[in-house]
Amino acid sequence: MLKVEEYKHQAETCVRCSYCKLIDLNWVKSSRFSRQCPIDVRYRFNLYSAHGLLHAALAELDNKLEFTPKFMEALWQCTLCGGCDIRCKRNLDVEVLQVIQDLRERCVEQGKSLPEHKLLATNVKKSHNIYGAAAGDRRKWMGTDVKPAPRADIVYFVGDAYAYRHPEIALATARLLEKAGFPFMVLADEWSSGHELFATGQVAAAKEMAEHNVKAIQSSGAKTVITGDAEAYKTLKVDYPRMMGKSTADMPYTVLHITEFIDQQVKDGKIKFTRRVPIKVTYHDPCNLGRLAEPWYQWEPKYEPPNIAVGKTWRRGDKGVYMPPRDILKGIKGLELIEMERVKDNTWCCGYGGGVGVAFPDFALWTAGERVEEARQTGAEAIVSACPNCKDVLASAATAHNTGLKVYDITEIMLRAVGK
Amino acid sequence: MITPKEAYETLQSIVGKEWVSDDPAICEADRYCSLSSPTDEKRRPGASIEPANTEEVRAIVRVCNRYKLPFVVTSTFYGAGTYCRKDNSILIDLKRMNTIEIDDQNMYAVVGPGVPFAALQGDLLKRGLYTFVAGCGGQSSVLANTVNMGDAPIGWRTGLGYQRILGVEWVLPDGEMLRMGSFSQGDDFFWGEGPGPDLRGLLRGCAGHQSRLGVVTRIGVKVFPFVSEELKPDGWAYHTTMNLPTNRFKWYNIRFNTRDDAINAMFEIGRCEIGLVVMTVPPIFRGVARTRGVGCAGFWEFWKDAGAKLAAAATDVRVLLYGIGSNKRLAYEEKVLLDVVADFKGSAREAPCRDETNIMAADAICANVVGGRFSSEVSYESINQAVRYSKVVDEICDRHRPPILQEYNSTDWFCPYELGYIAKMECLRMAAVEGIEGLEAWKAETQDACAAGGAYALVPDNKVFGPVWGNYPEKEDAIRALFDPNKISAPE
Repeated sequence: MLKVEEYKHQAETCVRCSYCKLIDLNWVKSSRFSRQCPIDVRYRFNLYSAHGLLHAALAELDNKLEFTPKFMEALWQCTLCGGCDIRCKRNLDVEVLQVIQDLRERCVEQGKSLPEHKLLATNVKKSHNIYGAAAGDRRKWMGTDVKPAPRADIVYFVGDAYAYRHPEIALATARLLEKAGFPFMVLADEWSSGHELFATGQVAAAKEMAEHNVKAIQSSGAKTVITGDAEAYKTLKVDYPRMMGKSTADMPYTVLHITEFIDQQVKDGKIKFTRRVPIKVTYHDPCNLGRLAEPWYQWEPKYEPPNIAVGKTWRRGDKGVYMPPRDILKGIKGLELIEMERVKDNTWCCGYGGGVGVAFPDFALWTAGERVEEARQTGAEAIVSACPNCKDVLASAATAHNTGLKVYDITEIMLRAVGK
Repeated sequence: MITPKEAYETLQSIVGKEWVSDDPAICEADRYCSLSSPTDEKRRPGASIEPANTEEVRAIVRVCNRYKLPFVVTSTFYGAGTYCRKDNSILIDLKRMNTIEIDDQNMYAVVGPGVPFAALQGDLLKRGLYTFVAGCGGQSSVLANTVNMGDAPIGWRTGLGYQRILGVEWVLPDGEMLRMGSFSQGDDFFWGEGPGPDLRGLLRGCAGHQSRLGVVTRIGVKVFPFVSEELKPDGWAYHTTMNLPTNRFKWYNIRFNTRDDAINAMFEIGRCEIGLVVMTVPPIFRGVARTRGVGCAGFWEFWKDAGAKLAAAATDVRVLLYGIGSNKRLAYEEKVLLDVVADFKGSAREAPCRDETNIMAADAICANVVGGRFSSEVSYESINQAVRYSKVVDEICDRHRPPILQEYNSTDWFCPYELGYIAKMECLRMAAVEGIEGLEAWKAETQDACAAGGAYALVPDNKVFGPVWGNYPEKEDAIRALFDPNKISAPE
């Protein structure tokens, strides 16, 4: 959490230019897909935007505003996609997302978290996963076929969603690692990454997950963590060091998304996509793999007049994992990649993030519907993504809108390309 | 919350419960937009309302009249002065009115107030058309900005936006509908002068009516033919650009030995009728360009060492040549430009063929790079007047440090329009956070100087400019009394 002075400084620096609401202006290709912020597009009142929330945050801090129903709705329907944060880094460099996340923490501290979010914490406390499923079932996806190495340099961090909801993708990931010829371990006692807890302002509970998982990784002796779950990727890489007051570089491990790892193996000639996958696809950048995935740089606020942030390393959204998934898809025979209008750091959120999918499923579906429409207009047959929650909500929207679009996790496509 | 409650319920019945709110958080977030004077009192609206169409706007305005509720209008929120100054006010937010209709053949577009420039430009470029994008940025409202001034560097070629307004749909402060130009005779916005009433001077008033004369709900704006080649965006987040087709565009940076040479060369370029953009490049712009991607802190770090050096350079002029119609035209423009440069002993250097600040105006709010701490004074008249006024402002700045920070008198920006017939002088002064009162004193002095010089200020102080400009505030009051008998349209 930011110190109050810094929180206030950041919020006050906003000049309400509204740049946070659009994608980068040079990348605007049509009015239809020119906007960035799901809550802004859906609700339109300024409160439902980054600058509105920052202004409200100042009023709340000064005891001029309470967490009213609409304030809560705007705050908790924000998907924390980070589009506003990246836009602001072109001009003002306000830490928009940090202020919004801190505002959520303040809301939780005042006992105003949502029941759906509280349930996540209850589930995690009970069984170390957000679904409340049996802890003992976490490794069920492996069946009898997957045999992780007892000791290896790599840990495969599965994450709640793949372990419990999409075991077939966890299995595909394991198969890919095997084909690349890299032995890997799976943590004997992996807990939830804590992504949803951190996003929903339940930081103490998230920190407990972080401490456990970091200790488990350290005990394994592995130096590299691979995951296919974009949310877990961002959490291990960015949120864990942030919660622990460190920088990403100071963590005892390096995190790679499966697409980063496989892309490198393809480029090194260690894995080959030999099978044709004849399909026209468009790629949806998960926020947590793209603009939110930059390394975390711990910084103690220090300013010199008039406004020089001394020694700060900025996170401006260009160091996310954008190209590896694209390079992989382009390298698959028969597959045609067609881009949507809002791509990479300008991506439109799937709608699930920030605890929205759990607490506001209708709004998540609406947001995903916007993305599905954008995908449909490319003429693609399928959407490919690299995040379990993106896949789920986009698939639901594709069905709801009767588009006929299929939705795949990129791991499924990769496995088809290398053969089973 | 507004009183009486009955009024609020009536508003709910007009737009639906979803689109009107008296929730304190919604109203607090609407308390003020940018470009508002720090010393003005800005009150939290009693309710915020989001109409979807003109009929809803009319109904809302009628309710405001019935219950004597003051109202203020906003749209994309990067606005000048549209905030509530009275308690129990209604903030009418027009973001939902974001329709765009483009008439390719007659080359005009009809837009609602919620359409940002970048959105319109995106749709136009796909059709081989373009419009100007306001200097304050592509995220701002086409309608609001055009009614106010329509100030954009491309105005060198297209003219100031307010001179390109065609038909207008306008809800007057009493809820009556006024249709102007050709739109008064049917559903066609193609012509501004008529047939039918042309009250565009009234619409714009002194400096845009800033919601004091009701609500403009749609306007027709002229658009222009553009190249058919694709403009290719490039770069990441904080540092994107638009690559221009090299067979149709060329940028030149030209250094002159004296400011007089630079000014005379700009006049000559205008007389030759070449170029899409012609302007001086204040050193602060170069500072911003060189620190693009490192944010406000990076800018300041750079500026404290390099500012003086940049400011010491002679006046630079930047010209974008545009081969409208053919690449032969580009060759012609280039030849003419280089002849002019030679005549005035300048030194021309071709610059990369890309754009950040004109086609989409992505960097147009570059002043924000300094951390939101800047103040701006603007005058519109001739290029010569701009030069004279800038010298006066420089002297005034020297008397007001702090709060004016050291920018080495380097920010005066001369941006001519209409091939040099009109020019803007904008001084973007960086200011310390502390000492707002001092900033107000600086502004007051600059306004006095602007008025004394016979120039036109973007946001004129009535007390200063009124006596100089034929006591226009009295005329405005008379007009408002006629149109707004209940004095509810953005009352002061």
